[in-house]
Amino acid sequence: MGIADFLLKADQVSLSVPVFQPPDRQIMTNPLRFISDLYLGRTHRGVANLLENVSLELVQGERLGLIGPNGAGKSTLLRLLAGIYAPTMGTLKTNGTVKGLFDISLGMNPEATGLENIYMRGLQMGFELREVREMIPQILEFSELEPFIEKPLNTYSTGMRLRLAVSVSTMRAPDVLLLDEWIGTGDARFREKLRDRMNNLVEQSRGLILATHNVELMKSLCTKGLVLNKGTVVFQGDLTEALEFYGDSVGSSSAKS
Amino acid sequence: MIKLSSLLYMTYFGFAVQYRKTMIGPVWVLLGPTLFIATLGFLFSEVSNIPTDVFIPHLSFGLLAWTLISGFVTGSTSVFQRSKAQIMQGGMTLLDIVAVDVMRTVLHFLHQLVIVVVVFLVFDLPWTLYSWVSLLGLVILIANGTWLTMFFGIVGVRYRDLFEVVSAIMRIAFLATPIIWMPGEFGRGGVMGAFMSYNPFYHFLEIVRAPLLGQVVSSLSWVVVAVFTVFGFAITSIFYRRLKQRVPLWV
Repeated sequence: MGIADFLLKADQVSLSVPVFQPPDRQIMTNPLRFISDLYLGRTHRGVANLLENVSLELVQGERLGLIGPNGAGKSTLLRLLAGIYAPTMGTLKTNGTVKGLFDISLGMNPEATGLENIYMRGLQMGFELREVREMIPQILEFSELEPFIEKPLNTYSTGMRLRLAVSVSTMRAPDVLLLDEWIGTGDARFREKLRDRMNNLVEQSRGLILATHNVELMKSLCTKGLVLNKGTVVFQGDLTEALEFYGDSVGSSSAKS
Repeated sequence: MIKLSSLLYMTYFGFAVQYRKTMIGPVWVLLGPTLFIATLGFLFSEVSNIPTDVFIPHLSFGLLAWTLISGFVTGSTSVFQRSKAQIMQGGMTLLDIVAVDVMRTVLHFLHQLVIVVVVFLVFDLPWTLYSWVSLLGLVILIANGTWLTMFFGIVGVRYRDLFEVVSAIMRIAFLATPIIWMPGEFGRGGVMGAFMSYNPFYHFLEIVRAPLLGQVVSSLSWVVVAVFTVFGFAITSIFYRRLKQRVPLWV
């Protein structure tokens, strides 16, 4: 056949970024340092290694949970797998579409109407106008925003905005779905609807990588676990074992959230 | 890459929404330069002692071409910052974002073509075969705007100072380029020659403006523009290939 059986394969990927450390700002402690800090300070350059030698493979039907404390590199790894960041070293191979739901509430235009924002988001996600148009009845029904859809987004409440963003972003499942925290928003009833939608999305996709601090959720969805700490993989294997490992070692030595 | 038709729709939406809260919407795109030309046109033709039927076409076409150039130059420095959400969500590539930004600037410019038509009618300017060269000049100008948007976009996302630098330069360049003043009878050979020969903005302006005014574009202008086009695209493609992966980290 020649078709690889993996969906996604990362081989020894590292990501290091140049960081620019501003000079010490001591305005708060010593107002007289204001001038020297603001005008005479030099920015120091350095390199931060966000991910180091991360290897993982996701095959058809596999669901991987990313486990680790805050700042371990889970979100960074997801963005790298989605192709937003490119690895500084190592290789990343994908087989099919790999898409994530990241910061879905950002990037909406407050002056534009809800409907226009649906079109914009749809187009930005790579759908054609015709496809977005076909999705609109479903989006309106799911978001329950039909009475407000011709009103500008800045008249929406925060909850309504999120509902709109979620409804558009979860319309189609990619081959590999990347989730940075489970998406749950709105009142109890909407939350339930959304849970069904998200579960559907997971069902439709051929593989899932989920980063969450919700252990119960991870147990119900994932089959495998990968423990990250300070940008390196410290454990990889069966989910229960991974959670145990995390509980014993990393989790007890660093603050859980 | 997103399909061109989708990018066009995005451009249109972005443009339409930009004026959402105004009373007369995109008419402002016309009103601004019209007021400029109407007031300063008469003032400066008086000051520089040039008949209005010579000066106003020169000012109008120059101002509109300048608006396009300066739209590219100043807009480019923050193009990726403005699309941070789209970059971080992973839907749009840098090329998509640049394409939408360039098309929006061009759409803005196309509205102002009404002014060109009005000036042609009011001053009864002749439209000759050579006038079509202006269209070629416009295409070349937009092509250069494209590489510039990518180039300054990448540099500007790393060094936020670029926006400040560029704004300062563009203010000076507007006054240093013959738009609200005309080169004397000696042209580039005169005392003001340096402000033309060594001013790339002048050459880009000329390939669009001169054919409309019934003047011949000098070969120097074609050479300068050709050099900028070739080197611009070459350098930008190297920059793009090397640094496109860094943009999401910097933005």
